[in-house]
Amino acid sequence: MDNVIFHVDVNSAFLSWEAVYRLHILGEKTDLREIPSAVGGDVKKRHGIILARSIPAKKFGVRTGDTISDAINLCPELVIVPPHYDLYETSSKAFIEILKEFSPCVEQYSVDEAYCDMTGTECLYGSAVVIANVIKDKIYKELGFTVNIGISSNKVLAKMASDLKKPNLVHTLFPDEIEKKMWCLPVEDLFYVGSATKKKLHKLGIRTIGELAKTDPDILRAHFKKHGEVIYAFANGIDVSVISDEVPPNKGYGNSTTIAFDVEDANVAKMVLLSLAEKVCSRLRADSVMATVVAVSIVDFEFHHASHQMTLLTATNITNEIHKAACRLFDELWDGTPIRHLGIHTSRIVSGDSSRQMNLFDMTRYDRLAQLDTAVDMVRERYGDDSIKRAVFINGPIYHMAGGISPEKRKPFYKEGIK
Amino acid sequence: MFHMPVDVIATFNVQGKIKPNYIRIEDENHFLQTYKIQNILYCKEENYAGIPVLLFCCNILRGDCMQMIKIKYHIKTHQWVLVNEADKVMA
Repeated sequence: MDNVIFHVDVNSAFLSWEAVYRLHILGEKTDLREIPSAVGGDVKKRHGIILARSIPAKKFGVRTGDTISDAINLCPELVIVPPHYDLYETSSKAFIEILKEFSPCVEQYSVDEAYCDMTGTECLYGSAVVIANVIKDKIYKELGFTVNIGISSNKVLAKMASDLKKPNLVHTLFPDEIEKKMWCLPVEDLFYVGSATKKKLHKLGIRTIGELAKTDPDILRAHFKKHGEVIYAFANGIDVSVISDEVPPNKGYGNSTTIAFDVEDANVAKMVLLSLAEKVCSRLRADSVMATVVAVSIVDFEFHHASHQMTLLTATNITNEIHKAACRLFDELWDGTPIRHLGIHTSRIVSGDSSRQMNLFDMTRYDRLAQLDTAVDMVRERYGDDSIKRAVFINGPIYHMAGGISPEKRKPFYKEGIK
Repeated sequence: MFHMPVDVIATFNVQGKIKPNYIRIEDENHFLQTYKIQNILYCKEENYAGIPVLLFCCNILRGDCMQMIKIKYHIKTHQWVLVNEADKVMA
Protein backbone atom coordinates (compact mmCIF):
# COMPACT_ATOMS: atom_id res chain seq x y z
CA MET A 1 0.00 0.00 0.00
CA ASP A 2 1.34 3.42 -0.92
CA ASN A 3 1.89 5.87 1.89
CA VAL A 4 -0.31 8.94 1.99
CA ILE A 5 1.01 11.77 4.12
CA PHE A 6 -0.66 15.13 4.75
CA HIS A 7 1.17 18.20 5.91
CA VAL A 8 -1.26 20.72 7.35
CA ASP A 9 -0.02 24.26 7.81
CA VAL A 10 -2.00 27.19 9.23
CA ASN A 11 -1.81 30.23 6.93
CA SER A 12 -0.02 33.10 8.74
CA ALA A 13 -0.88 31.35 12.00
CA PHE A 14 -0.34 34.00 14.69
CA LEU A 15 -2.01 36.65 12.58
CA SER A 16 -4.96 34.45 11.55
CA TRP A 17 -5.62 33.41 15.11
CA GLU A 18 -5.54 37.00 16.32
CA ALA A 19 -7.84 38.01 13.45
CA VAL A 20 -10.38 35.30 14.33
CA TYR A 21 -10.20 36.24 18.01
CA ARG A 22 -10.85 39.89 17.25
CA LEU A 23 -13.71 39.14 14.87
CA HIS A 24 -15.59 36.49 16.80
CA ILE A 25 -14.61 36.89 20.44
CA LEU A 26 -14.11 40.64 20.77
CA GLY A 27 -16.57 41.56 18.06
CA GLU A 28 -14.32 43.86 16.05
CA LYS A 29 -15.37 44.51 12.49
CA THR A 30 -12.02 44.69 10.69
CA ASP A 31 -10.47 41.44 9.60
CA LEU A 32 -6.71 41.75 10.11
CA ARG A 33 -6.19 39.24 7.30
CA GLU A 34 -7.70 41.62 4.76
CA ILE A 35 -5.55 44.66 5.58
CA PRO A 36 -1.76 45.06 5.74
CA SER A 37 -1.14 43.91 9.29
CA ALA A 38 1.39 42.03 11.38
CA VAL A 39 2.00 40.54 14.79
CA GLY A 40 5.08 42.19 16.27
CA GLY A 41 6.97 42.51 19.52
CA ASP A 42 7.38 45.52 21.74
CA VAL A 43 9.89 47.96 20.25
CA LYS A 44 10.55 49.57 23.63
CA LYS A 45 11.61 46.23 25.08
CA ARG A 46 13.74 45.66 21.96
CA HIS A 47 11.56 42.73 20.95
CA GLY A 48 10.94 44.58 17.74
CA ILE A 49 10.49 42.00 15.02
CA ILE A 50 7.61 40.86 12.86
CA LEU A 51 6.37 37.44 13.99
CA ALA A 52 3.69 37.00 11.32
CA ARG A 53 2.19 39.19 8.63
CA SER A 54 -0.99 39.21 6.57
CA ILE A 55 -1.03 38.47 2.85
CA PRO A 56 -1.76 42.16 1.98
CA ALA A 57 1.33 43.09 4.06
CA LYS A 58 3.36 40.51 2.15
CA LYS A 59 2.58 42.44 -1.04
CA PHE A 60 4.46 45.41 0.43
CA GLY A 61 7.49 43.17 0.92
CA VAL A 62 7.11 42.79 4.70
CA ARG A 63 8.69 39.51 5.78
CA THR A 64 8.58 37.50 8.99
CA GLY A 65 11.67 38.37 11.03
CA ASP A 66 12.00 41.94 9.70
CA THR A 67 12.46 44.64 12.29
CA ILE A 68 9.34 46.68 12.99
CA SER A 69 11.01 49.88 11.77
CA ASP A 70 11.94 48.23 8.44
CA ALA A 71 8.40 46.93 8.08
CA ILE A 72 6.89 50.38 8.69
CA ASN A 73 9.26 51.85 6.11
CA LEU A 74 8.00 49.32 3.58
CA CYS A 75 4.37 49.80 4.51
CA PRO A 76 3.57 52.95 6.52
CA GLU A 77 -0.07 51.99 7.18
CA LEU A 78 0.88 48.58 8.59
CA VAL A 79 -1.30 47.68 11.59
CA ILE A 80 0.86 46.00 14.23
CA VAL A 81 -0.78 43.98 16.98
CA PRO A 82 0.99 42.53 20.04
CA PRO A 83 1.51 38.77 20.46
CA HIS A 84 -1.02 36.66 22.32
CA TYR A 85 0.60 33.31 23.15
CA ASP A 86 -2.23 32.00 25.35
CA LEU A 87 -4.51 32.24 22.35
CA TYR A 88 -1.97 30.51 20.11
CA GLU A 89 -1.86 27.55 22.49
CA THR A 90 -5.65 27.30 22.57
CA SER A 91 -6.04 27.59 18.80
CA SER A 92 -3.21 25.16 18.13
CA LYS A 93 -4.77 22.57 20.43
CA ALA A 94 -8.18 22.88 18.75
CA PHE A 95 -6.49 22.57 15.34
CA ILE A 96 -4.70 19.34 16.30
CA GLU A 97 -7.92 17.94 17.81
CA ILE A 98 -9.68 18.25 14.45
CA LEU A 99 -6.80 16.50 12.67
CA LYS A 100 -6.99 13.66 15.19
CA GLU A 101 -10.62 13.08 14.20
CA PHE A 102 -9.42 12.09 10.74
CA SER A 103 -6.04 10.44 11.19
CA PRO A 104 -4.88 7.82 13.69
CA CYS A 105 -1.36 9.23 13.69
CA VAL A 106 -0.84 12.99 13.96
CA GLU A 107 2.61 14.42 14.54
CA GLN A 108 2.55 18.01 15.72
CA TYR A 109 5.58 19.50 14.06
CA SER A 110 5.27 23.00 15.47
CA VAL A 111 2.59 25.22 16.95
CA ASP A 112 0.94 25.65 13.54
CA GLU A 113 1.99 22.60 11.52
CA ALA A 114 1.28 18.92 11.71
CA TYR A 115 1.84 15.77 9.69
CA CYS A 116 -1.01 13.26 9.40
CA ASP A 117 -0.52 9.70 8.29
CA MET A 118 -3.53 9.04 6.05
CA THR A 119 -2.22 5.74 4.67
CA GLY A 120 -5.05 3.25 4.21
CA THR A 121 -7.87 5.72 4.75
CA GLU A 122 -8.97 5.63 1.11
CA CYS A 123 -11.67 3.04 1.74
CA LEU A 124 -12.93 5.11 4.65
CA TYR A 125 -12.87 8.61 3.21
CA GLY A 126 -12.29 8.24 -0.54
CA SER A 127 -9.58 10.05 -2.42
CA ALA A 128 -6.91 11.94 -0.49
CA VAL A 129 -7.63 15.21 -2.27
CA VAL A 130 -11.31 15.02 -1.36
CA ILE A 131 -10.72 14.36 2.33
CA ALA A 132 -8.00 17.01 2.48
CA ASN A 133 -10.55 19.52 1.25
CA VAL A 134 -13.06 18.29 3.81
CA ILE A 135 -10.50 18.76 6.63
CA LYS A 136 -9.48 22.19 5.36
CA ASP A 137 -13.10 23.36 5.15
CA LYS A 138 -14.02 21.88 8.51
CA ILE A 139 -11.16 23.78 10.18
CA TYR A 140 -12.29 26.97 8.49
CA LYS A 141 -15.95 26.47 9.38
CA GLU A 142 -15.39 25.50 13.00
CA LEU A 143 -12.28 27.40 14.01
CA GLY A 144 -12.45 30.28 11.56
CA PHE A 145 -8.94 30.17 10.07
CA THR A 146 -7.55 28.76 6.85
CA VAL A 147 -4.93 26.07 6.32
CA ASN A 148 -2.91 24.68 3.45
CA ILE A 149 -2.69 20.94 3.05
CA GLY A 150 0.11 19.23 1.14
CA ILE A 151 -0.39 15.63 0.07
CA SER A 152 2.34 13.21 -0.90
CA SER A 153 3.91 9.89 -0.10
CA ASN A 154 6.48 11.19 2.38
CA LYS A 155 6.95 14.01 4.82
CA VAL A 156 9.32 16.28 2.91
CA LEU A 157 7.21 16.26 -0.26
CA ALA A 158 4.02 16.83 1.73
CA LYS A 159 5.68 19.82 3.40
CA MET A 160 6.89 21.22 0.08
CA ALA A 161 3.38 20.74 -1.34
CA SER A 162 1.67 22.67 1.45
CA ASP A 163 4.05 25.55 0.72
CA LEU A 164 3.24 25.79 -2.99
CA LYS A 165 0.52 28.41 -3.17
CA LYS A 166 -1.34 30.01 -0.29
CA PRO A 167 -3.82 30.46 1.30
CA ASN A 168 -6.63 27.95 1.84
CA LEU A 169 -5.52 25.39 -0.76
CA VAL A 170 -4.81 21.70 -1.12
CA HIS A 171 -1.83 20.62 -3.26
CA THR A 172 -0.44 17.25 -4.20
CA LEU A 173 3.23 16.60 -4.84
CA PHE A 174 3.65 12.90 -5.56
CA PRO A 175 7.07 11.65 -6.75
CA ASP A 176 5.96 11.72 -10.41
CA GLU A 177 5.08 15.42 -10.06
CA ILE A 178 8.42 16.52 -8.62
CA GLU A 179 9.89 17.50 -11.95
CA LYS A 180 6.90 19.60 -12.92
CA LYS A 181 6.03 21.22 -9.59
CA MET A 182 9.18 21.33 -7.47
CA TRP A 183 12.27 21.40 -9.64
CA CYS A 184 11.47 24.80 -11.08
CA LEU A 185 11.41 26.43 -7.63
CA PRO A 186 14.37 28.46 -6.32
CA VAL A 187 16.68 26.36 -4.19
CA GLU A 188 15.99 28.37 -1.00
CA ASP A 189 12.39 27.13 -1.06
CA LEU A 190 13.62 23.63 -0.28
CA PHE A 191 13.11 22.42 3.27
CA TYR A 192 16.45 22.58 5.20
CA VAL A 193 18.00 25.15 2.86
CA GLY A 194 18.48 28.32 4.87
CA SER A 195 20.17 31.55 3.94
CA ALA A 196 23.72 30.25 4.58
CA THR A 197 23.22 27.11 2.49
CA LYS A 198 21.52 29.18 -0.20
CA LYS A 199 24.55 31.44 -0.51
CA LYS A 200 26.93 28.50 -0.79
CA LEU A 201 24.72 26.78 -3.36
CA HIS A 202 24.51 29.97 -5.42
CA LYS A 203 28.32 30.09 -5.45
CA LEU A 204 28.28 26.58 -6.87
CA GLY A 205 25.90 27.80 -9.57
CA ILE A 206 22.93 25.92 -8.16
CA ARG A 207 19.86 28.12 -8.24
CA THR A 208 16.87 25.81 -8.54
CA ILE A 209 15.84 22.66 -6.72
CA GLY A 210 16.07 20.82 -10.06
CA GLU A 211 19.72 21.81 -10.46
CA LEU A 212 20.40 20.64 -6.92
CA ALA A 213 18.69 17.31 -7.60
CA LYS A 214 20.90 16.69 -10.63
CA THR A 215 24.16 17.69 -8.91
CA ASP A 216 26.66 14.92 -8.16
CA PRO A 217 26.09 14.06 -4.47
CA ASP A 218 29.88 13.79 -4.00
CA ILE A 219 30.24 17.49 -4.78
CA LEU A 220 27.55 18.32 -2.24
CA ARG A 221 29.16 16.05 0.33
CA ALA A 222 32.49 17.81 -0.19
CA HIS A 223 30.94 21.21 0.45
CA PHE A 224 28.24 20.51 3.01
CA LYS A 225 29.28 17.17 4.55
CA LYS A 226 26.26 15.27 5.93
CA HIS A 227 23.91 18.19 5.30
CA GLY A 228 24.71 17.86 1.57
CA GLU A 229 23.32 14.33 1.52
CA VAL A 230 20.16 15.50 3.27
CA ILE A 231 19.39 18.32 0.84
CA TYR A 232 20.31 16.12 -2.15
CA ALA A 233 17.80 13.52 -0.97
CA PHE A 234 15.14 16.18 -0.32
CA ALA A 235 15.65 17.73 -3.76
CA ASN A 236 14.98 14.29 -5.23
CA GLY A 237 11.93 13.84 -3.04
CA ILE A 238 13.51 11.15 -0.87
CA ASP A 239 12.69 11.14 2.84
CA VAL A 240 12.66 7.98 4.90
CA SER A 241 11.51 9.53 8.19
CA VAL A 242 8.24 8.25 9.57
CA ILE A 243 5.43 10.06 11.32
CA SER A 244 5.52 9.61 15.05
CA ASP A 245 2.85 10.85 17.40
CA GLU A 246 5.12 10.37 20.40
CA VAL A 247 6.99 13.46 21.49
CA PRO A 248 10.73 12.64 21.64
CA PRO A 249 12.39 13.52 24.97
CA ASN A 250 14.14 16.88 25.09
CA LYS A 251 17.86 16.76 24.41
CA GLY A 252 18.48 20.07 26.09
CA TYR A 253 16.71 22.79 28.03
CA GLY A 254 17.64 26.38 27.41
CA ASN A 255 16.20 29.86 27.78
CA SER A 256 17.46 33.21 26.69
CA THR A 257 16.31 36.79 26.90
CA THR A 258 16.90 40.10 25.18
CA ILE A 259 17.40 42.67 27.90
CA ALA A 260 15.57 46.00 27.55
CA PHE A 261 18.85 47.90 28.07
CA ASP A 262 22.53 47.15 27.37
CA VAL A 263 24.13 45.50 30.38
CA GLU A 264 27.56 46.82 31.30
CA ASP A 265 27.74 45.63 34.90
CA ALA A 266 28.68 42.03 35.64
CA ASN A 267 26.41 41.96 38.68
CA VAL A 268 23.39 42.90 36.61
CA ALA A 269 24.32 40.26 34.03
CA LYS A 270 24.55 37.69 36.80
CA MET A 271 21.10 38.67 37.99
CA VAL A 272 19.79 38.05 34.50
CA LEU A 273 21.58 34.69 34.55
CA LEU A 274 19.90 33.92 37.87
CA SER A 275 16.49 34.65 36.44
CA LEU A 276 17.29 32.45 33.44
CA ALA A 277 18.57 29.71 35.75
CA GLU A 278 15.27 29.90 37.66
CA LYS A 279 13.38 29.32 34.46
CA VAL A 280 15.59 26.58 33.01
CA CYS A 281 15.81 24.69 36.30
CA SER A 282 12.09 24.88 36.96
CA ARG A 283 11.56 23.31 33.54
CA LEU A 284 14.13 20.60 34.27
CA ARG A 285 12.44 19.84 37.57
CA ALA A 286 8.97 19.86 36.04
CA ASP A 287 10.11 17.11 33.64
CA SER A 288 12.01 15.29 36.45
CA VAL A 289 15.33 15.42 34.64
CA MET A 290 18.80 16.78 35.40
CA ALA A 291 21.45 18.31 33.18
CA THR A 292 25.18 17.66 33.11
CA VAL A 293 26.38 20.34 30.71
CA VAL A 294 25.77 24.07 31.17
CA ALA A 295 26.40 26.64 28.45
CA VAL A 296 26.13 30.42 28.54
CA SER A 297 25.66 32.53 25.44
CA ILE A 298 26.10 36.27 25.04
CA VAL A 299 25.02 38.55 22.22
CA ASP A 300 26.63 41.96 22.55
CA PHE A 301 25.25 45.32 21.45
CA GLU A 302 26.83 44.87 18.02
CA PHE A 303 25.14 41.48 17.61
CA HIS A 304 28.33 39.44 18.04
CA HIS A 305 27.60 36.01 19.42
CA ALA A 306 29.78 34.16 21.90
CA SER A 307 29.20 31.06 23.98
CA HIS A 308 31.02 28.89 26.43
CA GLN A 309 30.16 25.59 28.08
CA MET A 310 31.30 23.27 30.83
CA THR A 311 30.55 19.80 32.12
CA LEU A 312 29.51 19.61 35.75
CA LEU A 313 30.90 17.00 38.14
CA THR A 314 27.44 15.64 38.56
CA ALA A 315 24.06 16.15 36.92
CA THR A 316 21.77 18.65 38.64
CA ASN A 317 18.60 20.65 38.41
CA ILE A 318 19.24 22.88 41.42
CA THR A 319 18.85 26.55 40.53
CA ASN A 320 21.75 27.77 42.68
CA GLU A 321 24.12 25.18 41.30
CA ILE A 322 23.31 25.90 37.64
CA HIS A 323 23.54 29.63 38.36
CA LYS A 324 26.96 29.21 39.96
CA ALA A 325 28.22 27.34 36.90
CA ALA A 326 26.67 29.95 34.60
CA CYS A 327 28.41 32.77 36.52
CA ARG A 328 31.76 31.00 36.24
CA LEU A 329 31.28 30.56 32.50
CA PHE A 330 30.17 34.16 32.20
CA ASP A 331 33.30 35.46 34.00
CA GLU A 332 35.51 33.41 31.70
CA LEU A 333 33.66 34.50 28.57
CA TRP A 334 32.77 38.16 29.01
CA ASP A 335 35.21 40.85 27.87
CA GLY A 336 33.24 43.83 29.13
CA THR A 337 31.36 44.72 25.92
CA PRO A 338 27.80 45.89 26.59
CA ILE A 339 25.42 42.92 26.49
CA ARG A 340 22.12 42.81 24.66
CA HIS A 341 21.08 39.21 25.05
CA LEU A 342 21.93 36.40 27.48
CA GLY A 343 21.13 32.72 27.42
CA ILE A 344 21.62 29.58 29.45
CA HIS A 345 21.45 26.20 27.79
CA THR A 346 21.71 22.87 29.54
CA SER A 347 22.28 19.53 27.88
CA ARG A 348 23.32 15.91 28.38
CA ILE A 349 20.06 15.24 30.14
CA VAL A 350 19.75 12.35 32.56
CA SER A 351 16.67 11.16 34.40
CA GLY A 352 15.86 12.89 37.68
CA ASP A 353 16.39 9.87 39.93
CA SER A 354 20.09 9.49 39.04
CA SER A 355 22.24 9.66 42.14
CA ARG A 356 24.61 12.50 42.87
CA GLN A 357 28.37 12.12 42.73
CA MET A 358 29.60 13.16 46.17
CA ASN A 359 32.50 15.59 46.40
CA LEU A 360 34.74 15.58 49.47
CA PHE A 361 35.67 19.23 49.13
CA ASP A 362 32.23 20.67 48.52
CA MET A 363 30.38 21.29 51.76
CA THR A 364 27.21 22.68 50.15
CA ARG A 365 24.10 20.89 51.43
CA TYR A 366 22.61 20.10 48.03
CA ASP A 367 19.81 18.02 49.47
CA ARG A 368 18.52 21.07 51.32
CA LEU A 369 18.77 23.26 48.22
CA ALA A 370 16.82 20.63 46.29
CA GLN A 371 14.14 20.62 48.99
CA LEU A 372 13.94 24.40 48.82
CA ASP A 373 13.54 24.30 45.02
CA THR A 374 10.77 21.71 45.33
CA ALA A 375 8.96 23.86 47.86
CA VAL A 376 9.25 26.94 45.64
CA ASP A 377 7.97 24.95 42.64
CA MET A 378 4.94 23.84 44.64
CA VAL A 379 4.14 27.39 45.74
CA ARG A 380 4.45 28.62 42.15
CA GLU A 381 2.31 25.84 40.77
CA ARG A 382 -0.46 26.63 43.21
CA TYR A 383 -0.36 30.41 43.38
CA GLY A 384 1.35 31.45 40.13
CA ASP A 385 4.94 32.13 39.09
CA ASP A 386 4.98 35.57 40.66
CA SER A 387 3.79 34.46 44.10
CA ILE A 388 7.35 33.83 45.29
CA LYS A 389 10.60 35.29 44.09
CA ARG A 390 14.13 36.00 45.23
CA ALA A 391 14.54 39.27 47.08
CA VAL A 392 17.14 40.59 44.58
CA PHE A 393 14.41 40.88 41.95
CA ILE A 394 12.04 43.00 44.05
CA ASN A 395 11.37 46.34 42.36
CA GLY A 396 14.20 45.64 39.91
CA PRO A 397 14.09 46.00 36.14
CA ILE A 398 14.62 42.27 35.57
CA TYR A 399 11.74 39.80 35.60
CA HIS A 400 12.51 37.01 38.06
CA MET A 401 11.96 34.18 35.58
CA ALA A 402 13.34 35.47 32.30
CA GLY A 403 13.23 33.59 29.04
CA GLY A 404 10.46 31.82 27.22
CA ILE A 405 7.13 33.56 26.89
CA SER A 406 6.96 36.45 29.31
CA PRO A 407 3.60 37.26 30.92
CA GLU A 408 2.93 40.34 28.80
CA LYS A 409 3.23 38.28 25.62
CA ARG A 410 0.68 35.78 26.86
CA LYS A 411 -2.23 38.18 26.69
CA PRO A 412 -2.25 41.67 25.25
CA PHE A 413 -4.23 44.48 26.80
CA TYR A 414 -7.44 45.10 24.89
CA LYS A 415 -8.98 48.50 25.55
CA GLU A 416 -12.56 47.26 25.74
CA GLY A 417 -14.40 44.00 25.65
CA ILE A 418 -14.10 40.83 27.60
CA LYS A 419 -10.91 39.32 28.89
CA MET B 1 -17.54 48.35 18.44
CA PHE B 2 -16.83 45.40 20.73
CA HIS B 3 -19.20 42.81 22.09
CA MET B 4 -20.49 44.11 25.40
CA PRO B 5 -20.19 42.14 28.65
CA VAL B 6 -23.63 41.70 30.22
CA ASP B 7 -25.18 40.30 33.38
CA VAL B 8 -27.41 37.28 32.78
CA ILE B 9 -29.73 35.17 34.88
CA ALA B 10 -29.81 31.69 33.42
CA THR B 11 -31.19 28.30 34.39
CA PHE B 12 -29.27 25.07 34.01
CA ASN B 13 -31.39 21.95 33.75
CA VAL B 14 -30.44 18.43 34.80
CA GLN B 15 -29.30 17.59 31.28
CA GLY B 16 -26.87 20.49 31.40
CA LYS B 17 -28.91 22.61 29.06
CA ILE B 18 -28.48 26.33 29.61
CA LYS B 19 -31.33 28.78 29.19
CA PRO B 20 -30.78 32.51 29.68
CA ASN B 21 -33.86 34.14 31.28
CA TYR B 22 -32.97 37.76 31.92
CA ILE B 23 -30.23 40.05 30.71
CA ARG B 24 -29.18 43.29 32.34
CA ILE B 25 -27.30 46.06 30.58
CA GLU B 26 -26.36 49.63 31.22
CA ASP B 27 -28.08 52.23 29.02
CA GLU B 28 -26.46 55.46 27.82
CA ASN B 29 -27.58 57.24 31.02
CA HIS B 30 -25.79 54.61 33.07
CA PHE B 31 -29.00 53.10 34.39
CA LEU B 32 -29.21 49.36 34.62
CA GLN B 33 -32.00 47.97 32.49
CA THR B 34 -33.29 44.43 32.87
CA TYR B 35 -34.97 42.64 30.00
CA LYS B 36 -36.79 39.35 30.15
CA ILE B 37 -35.87 36.93 27.44
CA GLN B 38 -39.17 36.00 25.82
CA ASN B 39 -38.04 33.06 23.76
CA ILE B 40 -34.91 31.49 22.36
CA LEU B 41 -34.91 31.11 18.60
CA TYR B 42 -31.85 28.90 18.42
CA CYS B 43 -28.69 27.96 20.24
CA LYS B 44 -25.42 27.12 18.53
CA GLU B 45 -22.03 25.95 19.70
CA GLU B 46 -19.08 27.85 18.29
CA ASN B 47 -15.39 27.15 18.62
CA TYR B 48 -13.68 29.99 16.77
CA ALA B 49 -9.92 30.04 17.40
CA GLY B 50 -10.49 27.09 19.73
CA ILE B 51 -12.47 29.14 22.26
CA PRO B 52 -15.76 27.35 23.03
CA VAL B 53 -18.80 29.61 23.11
CA LEU B 54 -22.57 29.04 23.17
CA LEU B 55 -24.47 31.46 20.97
CA PHE B 56 -28.09 32.17 21.84
CA CYS B 57 -30.33 34.02 19.48
CA CYS B 58 -33.31 35.27 21.44
CA ASN B 59 -36.13 37.81 21.60
CA ILE B 60 -36.48 40.40 24.32
CA LEU B 61 -39.34 42.80 24.97
CA ARG B 62 -38.40 46.48 24.92
CA GLY B 63 -41.48 48.53 25.68
CA ASP B 64 -43.97 47.32 23.11
CA CYS B 65 -41.30 46.14 20.74
CA MET B 66 -39.91 42.68 20.36
CA GLN B 67 -36.21 42.78 19.53
CA MET B 68 -33.96 39.98 18.43
CA ILE B 69 -30.56 39.86 20.12
CA LYS B 70 -27.64 37.47 20.18
CA ILE B 71 -25.80 36.69 23.36
CA LYS B 72 -22.77 34.47 23.80
CA TYR B 73 -21.77 32.41 26.79
CA HIS B 74 -18.04 31.77 27.15
CA ILE B 75 -17.82 28.23 28.44
CA LYS B 76 -14.29 28.56 29.85
CA THR B 77 -14.54 31.96 31.52
CA HIS B 78 -18.32 31.83 32.30
CA GLN B 79 -18.83 35.32 30.89
CA TRP B 80 -21.79 36.52 28.88
CA VAL B 81 -21.50 39.08 26.09
CA LEU B 82 -24.04 40.83 23.94
CA VAL B 83 -23.11 40.39 20.29
CA ASN B 84 -22.57 43.68 18.57
CA GLU B 85 -24.23 43.46 15.20
CA ALA B 86 -22.96 46.16 12.88
CA ASP B 87 -25.99 48.38 12.37
CA LYS B 88 -28.21 47.48 15.29
CA VAL B 89 -27.97 49.65 18.39
CA MET B 90 -29.06 48.20 21.68
CA ALA B 91 -30.28 50.08 24.77
